[in-house]
Amino acid sequence: MEAVVAPDRDAQLMLRVRQGDDTSFGMLLERHRGPVVHFLYRMVQNQAVSEELAQEVFLRVYRSRETYEPTAKFTTWLFRIATHVALNSIRDRKKEKGHESLDEEMLDGTERQVADRQPTVEQEMVHEVKLREVRQAIEALPAKQRVAVLMHKYEGLDYAQIAGVLSCSESAIKSLLFRAYEALRDRLAHMA
Amino acid sequence: MTCLSENEQGAELLTGYLSKALDAARMAELGRHIQECADCRGLASVWQRLDEFAVPEVSLGFDARLYARIAREEARIPSSSWRRWLWRPVAPLAAAAAVVALVLGFLHVPGGPDSAKQASNVEIEQVAQAVDDLDLLTSLADTRER
Repeated sequence: MEAVVAPDRDAQLMLRVRQGDDTSFGMLLERHRGPVVHFLYRMVQNQAVSEELAQEVFLRVYRSRETYEPTAKFTTWLFRIATHVALNSIRDRKKEKGHESLDEEMLDGTERQVADRQPTVEQEMVHEVKLREVRQAIEALPAKQRVAVLMHKYEGLDYAQIAGVLSCSESAIKSLLFRAYEALRDRLAHMA
Repeated sequence: MTCLSENEQGAELLTGYLSKALDAARMAELGRHIQECADCRGLASVWQRLDEFAVPEVSLGFDARLYARIAREEARIPSSSWRRWLWRPVAPLAAAAAVVALVLGFLHVPGGPDSAKQASNVEIEQVAQAVDDLDLLTSLADTRER
């Protein structure tokens, strides 16, 4: 059984949600909407799917309000739910469709951001090639390594939090990240 | 300094450097090392390459869609509000207070145990008085007959 820790600010908001304060749920949504959607986007690499999964994550948070206990940092609990939802989705999509081409799914938000900066056609093509290689390198990582890299590199979670999300020790996470960055260096060495 | 990317501790330091999580002295030391070490420069380069993986903005209607889903779910499970009410910490206290108030009220309302006891005592006294009165009348009647 996990020990109850001193609740962080987010956990205090969640405890208020438990008492029926829906405004606090709105504040949690405001604070974590972006990180959760972005994490899921990098996991599934599709904007529509990532937002649908993020909705599921926050719906689960809301459903859990009555039984919520601050046994860990709120973000650890939140990303544990997000990871669970993402891995289930990836597994289900693989079962249903097999591997989809990333090329088709790249025609969403990320490219629009590039267009906003108005690069030349050549710059845009170079950027797209680099982006595709990065995305493919990340997608090629084993699921646990991918989750650890995305949380460490992009969401700023520390080793203890990542260990909490993936239910393993901090030293295991350090080892996992070391292997993941090694693999990424090998795959992306030609881009250096 | 040996190559940091050859072992976990070194890689941890290196990622600390790349995410600017180290103190100034350590940052300077590692910065010098990376200038000299091709392998560490390779890992630093990967870290920068990962920055290419930008993300789109969250859709404007995200919150509205979520709240609509929550509302639909709440409407589908009407007992949810009852369950929420029962989970509130004040509910058991309120229930206990109501029981206590009920018991206290019962003890003080007319017809409660105290009143019944008082009524019973009055009744005995009245019967005793009536018997005494009857004895007195009987004595008086006997006296007149004599």
